[in-house]
Amino acid sequence: MTYLRGLLASVRFAMVAAGQNFTRNLAVSLAGVFTMGLIMLLVGGTLLLTHTVDAILNQQEVQADEIHIYLQDSLSMRTIADYEMRFAQDPRVNGVSFTSKDQAVIAGQQRGLSLAPAIAILGSNPLPASIDLHVRDLTDLTQLNNVAKSLPVVDISSGSATDYNPDVIPRLQTVITWTVWIGAVLSIVLAVISLVIIMNTIRTAVYIRRTEIEIMKLVGASDWFVRWPFILEGVFAGVLAAALGATVVALAYRFVLVQANARVYLGISFDGAFLTAMVGLLIVFGAVLGGFGSFLGVRRFLHA
Amino acid sequence: MSLAAVMPPEVAAPPEVGLRPVISFHGVSKIYPNGCEAVRDVDLAIHQGDFCFVVGASGSGKTTLVRLLIREEVATTGRIFVDGQETTRMLRRRLPKLRRKFGIVFQDYKLLPKLTVAQNVAFALQVTRPGQRHLKEKVEETLWIVGLEDKLNTFPDQLSGGEQQRVAIARALVHRPRIFLADEPTGNLDPDTSWGIVQLLLQINHRGTTVVMATHNREIVDLCRRRVIAIDSGRVVRDEEEGGYLREGEATI
Repeated sequence: MTYLRGLLASVRFAMVAAGQNFTRNLAVSLAGVFTMGLIMLLVGGTLLLTHTVDAILNQQEVQADEIHIYLQDSLSMRTIADYEMRFAQDPRVNGVSFTSKDQAVIAGQQRGLSLAPAIAILGSNPLPASIDLHVRDLTDLTQLNNVAKSLPVVDISSGSATDYNPDVIPRLQTVITWTVWIGAVLSIVLAVISLVIIMNTIRTAVYIRRTEIEIMKLVGASDWFVRWPFILEGVFAGVLAAALGATVVALAYRFVLVQANARVYLGISFDGAFLTAMVGLLIVFGAVLGGFGSFLGVRRFLHA
Repeated sequence: MSLAAVMPPEVAAPPEVGLRPVISFHGVSKIYPNGCEAVRDVDLAIHQGDFCFVVGASGSGKTTLVRLLIREEVATTGRIFVDGQETTRMLRRRLPKLRRKFGIVFQDYKLLPKLTVAQNVAFALQVTRPGQRHLKEKVEETLWIVGLEDKLNTFPDQLSGGEQQRVAIARALVHRPRIFLADEPTGNLDPDTSWGIVQLLLQINHRGTTVVMATHNREIVDLCRRRVIAIDSGRVVRDEEEGGYLREGEATI
């Protein structure tokens, strides 16, 4: 009971002192919070960007096992069915489907392409019908592409008989690796900068309270008793900065995504789960950085 | 036949706790990293209930002696015991407990300007014994001892120098320390006020607390006729009961 009473009194003392630290030193505290908030914004932005690029690229990879073989307009349904059958029997092929000219228009519209003006001007639908193959193994794509190109029924009016692009996969993988690395390095550098900012904010708070600390040490307060108010202040500042940064990132993410999707088809939607996880992570990150920065900031003074 | 053989063992080794010094220095020296030798080979014993002055010119090593005692400084050589515990090799985390045995006041009062008199005194208990019961009563009782019971809600800058030092004394006293250290407590005060402060320290001593006062106030030392430990260039040059500021016939120290 006595222990609990003492503990509660200590917690109360630390919280009151932390609040006083923050407000007595308001200009420096706020400057620290805003600078760190900006850094949290960058860290959060980097995380989201990496995640979004990753999502786009993953989707491209999913689509990459598909090859569309464009067909001439004059073919009969029977000829098409014949070719479909031949591909379906190929062991390298996982699935075959047919997209008619009208279905190609609908699929284009789903991807955000507005084809109505083109159809109105041309007087007919310019998109070719296609046989769509899903391959078992991405490495077979080149061979299948060669087979497709040599068929007499393909339409080469778009410049190519298929939509196969041999460079896309390794390129995508390079982009993914680079975005992850740049994001990680940038986040670490920014975290170190945050730590230094917190340390300096706390040093100022320590300087303001130096007489109080001197008296506390003199009358026999424990090191932790002296430390806690500053650690709490650091945690508070860190969480505040993270919340600030996270709010801006979340709003910006939503805005950019809505704007981008209205213009081009990216194939990604608002990822609420990732955003929630990221905000949580940022806040924990801010708290840990703030607490650790304070610990380092007070340490030198306590041991002096 | 030896004496020990005829006496019962408990008499041969009497458990005379009262005679064990509360503070003792054994061959203590303090050399600062810059080579300055502030304290040299000091041997001292101060007993429970003693009142002693530590005198010497500025820079003689008085303050270093006080700082060694509370382990603000660590002795370069020698051993220091406080209340039976060796402090020279004490772990850092044990220091708070050591400091709580002391009540300490300085020439500058080190009061917190934004706290009232009562809050300044209460602060010492709040940070060492959080959740202390009857805090208000303890603070008021201590302020009554130093004669400031009517200044509870006054702020330090509204008090005279002597009154501020009394608040500092109350703060040092509120946890009922075994040893009271005063480093030049009258350094900033006029003679009358200084005398009042010393009388207060004598009163505290009268209640059983050991008092060590470092000073270069000659009148006070000569008037009190208490134990005097004189220090010069870091050495104890004189240690006498009922001494004066100077040795008989000495012009200066």
